[in-house]
Amino acid sequence: MARTLAMFTDTSLCIGCRACQVACKQWNELGPEVPDWTGSYQNHTHFTDKTFRLVRFFEAPGAAPNGDLAWLLMSDVCKHCADAGCLNACPTGAIYRTEHGTVNINQDVCNGCRYCVSACPFGVVSFNEQTGTATKCTFCNDRIHNGLGPACAKACPTESIQFGFRDDLVVKAQKRVETLKGMGFKEAQLYGADSKGFLGGLNAFFLLLGKPETYGLPVNPKLPQKNIFVDSLLSIGSAVLVGVGALMAFRSRGDGKEG
Amino acid sequence: MSLLQSSHWPFLIDVYFFLGGLAGGAFVIATVAGLVGSRLYRDVVRAGYYVALLALIPCPLILIVDLGVPGRFLNMMKTFNPQSPMSMGSWALAVFGLCVGLAALFTLIEDLQRKNLSNQKLIVGVIGGVFGFFVAAYPGVLLGATARPLWTNGHALGALFLAVGASTAAAAIALILTLAGRAAGEGATAIRRMTVLALLIQALSIVVFIVAVQGAGSAASDRALALLLSGPFKMTFWVGAIIVGTVVPLLLGLADLKRPSLALSAVTALLVLVGGFLVKYVVMAAGQA
Ligand code: SF4
Ligand code: SF4
Repeated sequence: MARTLAMFTDTSLCIGCRACQVACKQWNELGPEVPDWTGSYQNHTHFTDKTFRLVRFFEAPGAAPNGDLAWLLMSDVCKHCADAGCLNACPTGAIYRTEHGTVNINQDVCNGCRYCVSACPFGVVSFNEQTGTATKCTFCNDRIHNGLGPACAKACPTESIQFGFRDDLVVKAQKRVETLKGMGFKEAQLYGADSKGFLGGLNAFFLLLGKPETYGLPVNPKLPQKNIFVDSLLSIGSAVLVGVGALMAFRSRGDGKEG
Repeated sequence: MSLLQSSHWPFLIDVYFFLGGLAGGAFVIATVAGLVGSRLYRDVVRAGYYVALLALIPCPLILIVDLGVPGRFLNMMKTFNPQSPMSMGSWALAVFGLCVGLAALFTLIEDLQRKNLSNQKLIVGVIGGVFGFFVAAYPGVLLGATARPLWTNGHALGALFLAVGASTAAAAIALILTLAGRAAGEGATAIRRMTVLALLIQALSIVVFIVAVQGAGSAASDRALALLLSGPFKMTFWVGAIIVGTVVPLLLGLADLKRPSLALSAVTALLVLVGGFLVKYVVMAAGQA
């Protein structure tokens, strides 16, 4: 396997221009949508089948270094999780991991069951009603296989989105956190950079200026398939009860007593 | 604001989960009845295998319709992914379907030719019983293996779906025996006992499920649980699934065992069937909202 590729989104550099969101739409030919009125600059409220990069805006009272209201921005995207809930859930094998560590959905194999939509801890996968298949960010699969970075990273005017080898980017990101802390951003932290952390690390990881909750991100997302073991054990318990119950019901002959 | 998305599985999928559970439960009950006394419980065995067949026939059709493009269903039969309850479930459904078909065929041959095929039925019944349990339970485990807060924290959904499968199957068989004028036989008494026992397991599973979601204690799980218990789904849950669907038939069923009555048996069975559907429906609806 080749060295894992990654995107590092440093939200402290983001100016909310949405060049990434537009570049993504253009390169991937995602087409227009009816806008959502959100009361802020954010459009849309969620990832959709035509919005794979989504710049999100947050007003966070007290989160600025001087205790003022902070206006936080986050250009959000599929995290290409090392342990990906969508990939595990897929019953057709349509979702696969590339040699670069990214996660893709093969549109010819997807059968439209929508299981992956519920299985992504970040609400990334979206269902395309026209094609009847699940879609999401491909990490610009066509571009990275031809020596180009993802369109969003290319378009970003502030280098808020950086593309490269994961190990290099993590080192860079850690240095950046220290710099920001020195500047008074006490809550500056990485999200998903630790490959021993949740979901085995995210191949699109983030630098946040506040707690993950502030950005509507799950604090400690877990792999949905971790539940299968316990849930199955309880199901087996229920099956044993039903089986024994049936034996009891049929063995005590018509005397009306439970046996 | 969380970005979590919903699969928006339609009502038809609730119907599939209900019918799959009913088929699995009916098959298992028929097999156990056959094991204990294939002649004494002949009526129950026949009814059980036929119910399993009738309930199972629409299942693959529903799944295919839901996918929009019929041929795409086959894509599931080209892989085997143990991490995906949906993949495992579709394989289990295929094997179970085979067993249900065989069991119903043997029963039919017995009915038409007065032959005794109970040994053949036993083998198919035991193998199919295991897959029947699987088909009844896997939808709950499938829901648990998502990021939806109500489902991922519930842990007992597989157990609950299996119990509902058993209670509704027992009720369906009881109803058939009552309608066929066999309400007084050994089999009918036993199947009414079975209904009560399955309802108890169903009630227990609901409690474990609620307690587990409550215990998760995250903001998201609290919000999801509130939708079910005190939000837009509260009537369906408390009145439909709990009172009318579980508690009332439990009491009626117990009364019916003490002093058997045709009307009581029929009403109990109907309530269990409606209630079992509502349990699955409300778990699906509230979890996806
Ligand atoms: S963020 Fe969601 S869609 Fe992207 S790889 Fe992870 S689980 Fe899959
Ligand atoms: S919708 Fe497609 S990609 Fe998603 S789990 Fe189903 S088959 Fe796989």
